[in-house]
Amino acid sequence: MKLRRPFLVLLASLLAAAVGRAQPSHAGPMPDRAPIADASLRRAAYLARVDEALVWRAGLAKPDNPATLGLGEIAAKLALRQDAAACSARLIELMKAPTGDMFWMFPVTIISHLGRDQLTPEAKQAIRAAWRNYMPLRGDTENHWAMYYTSLYLMAQLWPGEGGDRWFNGKSSQENFNEARDYLVHWMEITTTIGQGEYDCTHYIGEYAIPMLMLASWSADPAMRQRGHMMLDYVMADFAVDSLDGIYIGAHARTDDRTVLEKWNALSSFFGWLMLGNTVPQAAYGGWGVYFTAAARNYELPEVIYRIGTDRAGTYTHTERKRTRHRWRYSDERNPPVYKTSYVTADYAVGSDQGGQLQPIQQHSWDVTWSVPDPRGVHNTLFANQPYWSARDLMMYFTEKPDSMPGDVTFQGKPTYINEEKLLGGSPYEQIFQQDDAVVSLTDVPAGVTFQQVNGFFSKDLALIEEDASGWIFAQGGRAYIAYRPLAPYEWRPLEVGGKRLRSPHGKNGTIMQVAAAREFKSWDDFKAAIRALPLTIRLEPTPSVTFTTLRGKTLVCTFGALPSVNGRTVDRAAWKLFAGPYLNAEVGSGMLTMTHGRLERVLDFNTLTITDRVNR
Amino acid sequence: MSNLATKFSALLCALVCVAGAHAAEVKHDLYLSVLLSGGGQIMGGRPPAKSGIYRSTDRATAEHVGFGHIRIYNVAPDPASPAGIYIAALDGVIHSPDRGATWRILTGWNMTEVKGLALDPNAPDHIYAGLPDGIGVSRDRGKTWARMNAGIRRSFTQTITVDRTQAGRVLAGTEQGIYLTEDGAQTWRLVLPTTEVAYDVRQSPHDPKIFFAVTATSGALWSADAGRTWQTVAGIPKDRTLHNGVFDPRDAKRLALCGWEAGVQVSEDGGRTWTDRTAGLPSRKIWSIAADPDFPGRLYASPYQAAVYVSDDFGRAWKPAFFEKATVFNFSFVPRP
Repeated sequence: MKLRRPFLVLLASLLAAAVGRAQPSHAGPMPDRAPIADASLRRAAYLARVDEALVWRAGLAKPDNPATLGLGEIAAKLALRQDAAACSARLIELMKAPTGDMFWMFPVTIISHLGRDQLTPEAKQAIRAAWRNYMPLRGDTENHWAMYYTSLYLMAQLWPGEGGDRWFNGKSSQENFNEARDYLVHWMEITTTIGQGEYDCTHYIGEYAIPMLMLASWSADPAMRQRGHMMLDYVMADFAVDSLDGIYIGAHARTDDRTVLEKWNALSSFFGWLMLGNTVPQAAYGGWGVYFTAAARNYELPEVIYRIGTDRAGTYTHTERKRTRHRWRYSDERNPPVYKTSYVTADYAVGSDQGGQLQPIQQHSWDVTWSVPDPRGVHNTLFANQPYWSARDLMMYFTEKPDSMPGDVTFQGKPTYINEEKLLGGSPYEQIFQQDDAVVSLTDVPAGVTFQQVNGFFSKDLALIEEDASGWIFAQGGRAYIAYRPLAPYEWRPLEVGGKRLRSPHGKNGTIMQVAAAREFKSWDDFKAAIRALPLTIRLEPTPSVTFTTLRGKTLVCTFGALPSVNGRTVDRAAWKLFAGPYLNAEVGSGMLTMTHGRLERVLDFNTLTITDRVNR
Repeated sequence: MSNLATKFSALLCALVCVAGAHAAEVKHDLYLSVLLSGGGQIMGGRPPAKSGIYRSTDRATAEHVGFGHIRIYNVAPDPASPAGIYIAALDGVIHSPDRGATWRILTGWNMTEVKGLALDPNAPDHIYAGLPDGIGVSRDRGKTWARMNAGIRRSFTQTITVDRTQAGRVLAGTEQGIYLTEDGAQTWRLVLPTTEVAYDVRQSPHDPKIFFAVTATSGALWSADAGRTWQTVAGIPKDRTLHNGVFDPRDAKRLALCGWEAGVQVSEDGGRTWTDRTAGLPSRKIWSIAADPDFPGRLYASPYQAAVYVSDDFGRAWKPAFFEKATVFNFSFVPRP
């Protein structure tokens, strides 16, 4: 492998040079999605992708323009062991005016560790001075804390034995090290026993993966190094099982207005590209991607996770239990459970949570994502929501005073938060149940709540949309046939980004969605006929209720405010495991995760900090 | 705000305030815990202006002190050290022994987003911190901490007030009302249930038995028996979030309160009647107010994302004093060393 790397670097350099600043993989053809069976070839392809991203980012720095040499470019150059003198000189300048809080801490920590044998003493001194003079904010969310405490841990390790007068927060190296360690261990414990709070985030996955890689790479304590490695496995497995063609599918604690439509366009797809090799990276490798690649040679995705992420030969249902973000007010439970269901096939994936206000702003509760040959620019999804916002619910998750916050968040990267056509967000007046590839969402919005409606988002990239006299709306996305049933009258509104919105202005309402693969039917008409023939009873008063027999022959009874049933058996999700399905399994409270694919098995045991790999007979 | 603009504001204020400043003996420094980068500022983003703590020693200019965090909520004097100050901040309880030259975060990862902070004047080593998930107590000036909110069901705590007459007697404004401890936070009992958060609880500087509180949805409340029982203050609507209620340190009968769309309300008769004194301010969204202990009749108001205003006739006329676009979480007056 040592002989191969310089060649790959050279190759990537030539590619980058050939296309100027274009990103080879971002602008190039889609990769072959067939899994690579040979481990050495798989590793080589991974390292080639790592080097591609590093070379591209390093190439953004122009020798005649120091301003182009930022922290990302310096990290890339140091990872490539290039231009250490220029990087050192530039760092001395950059350390004079730090900004960015935890988003400054982790790049500087990466640079400090990559540069231990490359940076000049003056540059190291500049970094050291910055960590004394600049007080970064610790932040208010789980991803902030992962970055903050990982950085603090590693820098305290780098500069041991120093007094509080040498640190921005007045604490000694040992105090900082201990506090950071305690937080990180605490986070790992709750994540592996009651679930992650910012679960399955299309962007923030990076803010967990990068810190865990940093710990796995540079922690001097073997136990913390092992923890970082295991948590990175954990995060990647969690992503792989909920991915289709390298795209994060289903319900998310947090996504954004762009990604919720163009499902590929997220940092998570950078990890799909890097780890699974079955998609292309987005522009600039997701921005933060360079910091992962800077240390990515220290990690090798376990084959079992690779297989879970790339094998879509069969269909599977996977369930998860996560937790909400911290609830500071209006709740007797700090982190109530979140229940997720994913149904994944080669052609499409359907995913959901149980509905309700599980996160403050950027929650995405359910959708179907269909496979497309090339996801760039494609809105390969269909979903609906009950648009809802309230200062009170923001107060549940934030500690601020109430009245200014709804308006403020629209200037904080969540521009549609208070809009009637908002794309993101959960509603306390929506309950969702998913069985296989059927979703039943019921809404019961009390009078007086701002938006008494359900919005369905019909993609610009649906091949067909037909409103049927039966009340069903039939659509086709890629190789997926979709039947969408609004439970109350509706109207169509255009979507600025393409496609159209089904606006159903009724508080007692809901949506049924049934998806199937086109290959399951002889024709489009056969699919429609099959859907029309499904037994369905809808009642909206006094409480929305649906009895629906799915294409898979299961009879669902869903009533707002009551537990759902399948074939007469009540489904009580309180008994769900942390992970359950053919690939990932974990009991609540166990601190263990078992990953399985075919004969491969890997067990992460956070109680003993051991990884056990087996090849079963 | 640019340095130039800051200087201009300071100069303007100096011109209008200088007469008053010369007329009084200034015994306190004014600290403003302020957000200067607008409501859209996110954590980790590049702030357009330096938020945090500003100190005014002359009531005409304000200098930035310490670090530029966007969530520093309050400043409290250190009863054990004339040059010491404590701050309540998102990062925890933070102490400076030297008026902001150096700092130490006293709390750890599990005690953060501190809203309320109070030190016991009768037990100067004792610190009480109102946390979003309880009450943190230190008996050794912040070296060690314990969470002590036994008896408080919903423990979101916005404000902490220590009764200056009795060590260990503390009132806490929480999500579901005001709680009282008389044993240094060993036990708490609910003395005023509210439907939403109690945002401010103050003890009268004139009569220690009198307490004044404002809330999110229960209006303003008054206690004449040291916080044991409470009565609703008439004339104050309950449909506005009230942020601050303050006593005039120079006039026992004079009070003021403020809130979101509540403007500034002033009482000259001990809370019996109230007059709206918002005219002259740019909006009715008033984040915080304060009465200056060194200048008779002086009131400060922080309209949301606007200049800080000052009135020398307790709200009858207002003029801009500091900044151009600010939200002051709290004004604090710290005795000069």
